[in-house]
Amino acid sequence: MAQFGTIFKFELKYYLKNKIFVGITLFFVLLIAVVMFLPRVMALVSRDDGSEVPAEREVMLVKVHQPEQAEMFIESFAGVFAGYDVRSTGQDLDEIKEEIAAGNAKCAFILTGATSYIYYVDNLSLYDMNTEMADEALRNVYRMSAMIEGGMTAEQASAAMNVEITGQVESLGKDQIQTFFYTYIMIFALYMVILLYGQMVSANVAAEKSSRAMEVLITSAKPTSMMFGKVLASCLAGLIQLVAIFGSALIFYNLNHAYWEGIGIIAAIFNIPLELLFYMLLFFVLGFLIYAFLFGAIGSTATKLEDINTSTMPLMFLFIAAFIVVMASMSSGTVDNIVMIICSYIPFTSPMAMFTRIAMSTVLWYEVVISIAILIGSVIGIGIMSAKIYRVGVLLYGTTPKISSVIKAVIRA
Amino acid sequence: MVLEVRNIEKSFGEKQVLSGVSFQAEGGKAFGLLGRNGAGKTTSIRILMDVFPANSGQVLIDGQTIDYKRIRIGYLPEERGLYPKKIIIDQLTYFAALKGMRGKEAVKAVDYWLERLGMAEYRNKRLDTLSKGNQQKIQLITALAHDPEIVILDEPFSGLDPVNAMLLKDIVKEQISKGKIVLFSSHQMNYIEEFCDSIAILNAGKIALCGNLRDIKRNYVRDRLVVRTEHPEQIEDDLGGACSRLGDGSLMIQLTSAGEKREMMKRLVEHYDIDEVKVFEPSLNDIFVKHASNAVKED
Repeated sequence: MAQFGTIFKFELKYYLKNKIFVGITLFFVLLIAVVMFLPRVMALVSRDDGSEVPAEREVMLVKVHQPEQAEMFIESFAGVFAGYDVRSTGQDLDEIKEEIAAGNAKCAFILTGATSYIYYVDNLSLYDMNTEMADEALRNVYRMSAMIEGGMTAEQASAAMNVEITGQVESLGKDQIQTFFYTYIMIFALYMVILLYGQMVSANVAAEKSSRAMEVLITSAKPTSMMFGKVLASCLAGLIQLVAIFGSALIFYNLNHAYWEGIGIIAAIFNIPLELLFYMLLFFVLGFLIYAFLFGAIGSTATKLEDINTSTMPLMFLFIAAFIVVMASMSSGTVDNIVMIICSYIPFTSPMAMFTRIAMSTVLWYEVVISIAILIGSVIGIGIMSAKIYRVGVLLYGTTPKISSVIKAVIRA
Repeated sequence: MVLEVRNIEKSFGEKQVLSGVSFQAEGGKAFGLLGRNGAGKTTSIRILMDVFPANSGQVLIDGQTIDYKRIRIGYLPEERGLYPKKIIIDQLTYFAALKGMRGKEAVKAVDYWLERLGMAEYRNKRLDTLSKGNQQKIQLITALAHDPEIVILDEPFSGLDPVNAMLLKDIVKEQISKGKIVLFSSHQMNYIEEFCDSIAILNAGKIALCGNLRDIKRNYVRDRLVVRTEHPEQIEDDLGGACSRLGDGSLMIQLTSAGEKREMMKRLVEHYDIDEVKVFEPSLNDIFVKHASNAVKED
């Protein structure tokens, strides 16, 4: 136990004194500070100016096929395209094209009938929704005309078209719109930290072996103490980094709370229930340990630092596959699909899969307990197995051994 | 204190690495563990240090199974290496703490050894800023700082200049005089002869020879004489094929039996101008070559 404490302290000191570790943490804290204080700073700046200068809107030209009905069409377009300065034009096609090319107008709609048009735009953006909106504008005009022809007055038709609907959504389970963002951020943080620190544990062990420091280490401490000391120190270092980054984000958000009102995404990210933070911590620690033990064991079988990337590749693929499954399920909104349910009980995927299901869906309590129990059992099992591999691996020099020969050596040891 | 390795067997899979290895090392004396590369020296040392267990056999201290929590062992491995990028004092105190020393006690011990080895000025430097010889001195501190009862030195003199070798000799002598068990493993036979009272020669995982070095030498058949003379030609002419020249110009005379020794000495003194005549004793090198020259299985 004393040896474990010594190794744990030594390894933790290595991370906390590491310039890259400190640099990355400070960089993220500063970045978050800048983002979180931005609305406050902008509010200060605009107050100093006295009045805000209204942003200039881009020009949209609309050429109506029947000039006598131009007013109705322009009104409808202006209503739908609030972000544009919608102007009626009588110019011919070439002149309209020139206007767009010269940058005087962003785009133009040439109506060829009451329900048809040609849309001209300089560069068609990936996110251009103007045609869908124009369809809506034309549909409105068509319906209005139909209603007026049917005997309604223009006011009645307009009232019918613009009737206000009030509705309220009460989700009895989880609201995925709310939970999506913080689940996404947490899963991504988990993914990044495990990959980063897993590689660091692996490289750390391989470096000790290649520098032959292992010759003294292995005769000074028990492999189990060494493996657990190293892995738990890296786990705590990762946690410290996450707490520093997320904690500072939370503090900065609360300091600038008033300036972020009205931006739903930000509020959704920071309104994480306490219960979910607990699960996040639990799955982070268990998920981290299971992978870090394996990364450590793999590091012990590598002879040179250069071999690490190749040796850890299968483990990385497994982890990336788990990440993709979870992310794809999250994006599709079906976090309770059969693959996710299976993944919730497999120890290599459950930290991400079960956490996502808890965050974005309703999971029965015993499902959570079973998943966590399997995970804890696997962490202990893999920890002991990794220490055994480590003891055998660190004494193997020469070419990187095959998995089968390592397993045989572990069984013999 | 007596360290006894008794009948150790070790195999890795199908490969038998050690078979019935036994030897004894006493406190206040140095013991030499010799053998060619791959003979099983490092495996023996690792079993002795509990890095991995033997298939069978025992490691005893004063007749009792060794208690690794109580007996401290210091080890200088043949494959040298520490943390190249870390500060010297940090890593030395880390290793001392792993061996059971407390914080301040470890720093004090490490500072003593840094001073003793003339390395105090490098205390707060990174290891990779030091020359190879100095790195080796730092490594020696990991073996000695925790004041171990058993000191195992694997090729301790390799890579050291004559001045540093002299410094290490003094330290080794001091450790022996403190009553510690010093176990040497080396191919440099002159150092083994200088320090070790007893030796064991390992050959292909088996003890080929073990015992007190002086007794081993005395037990060799004393049927050769070494003669130093100004005129070796006369003796060569008279004795013919029984004579051969040694590297320093002296003559070696092969007798038909050890019983002929006195008669031949008398004859040489009476008939020739002799400066010195003595019975030939083999060097450790000769003994090693004789006992370790069989084929060695690779580890």
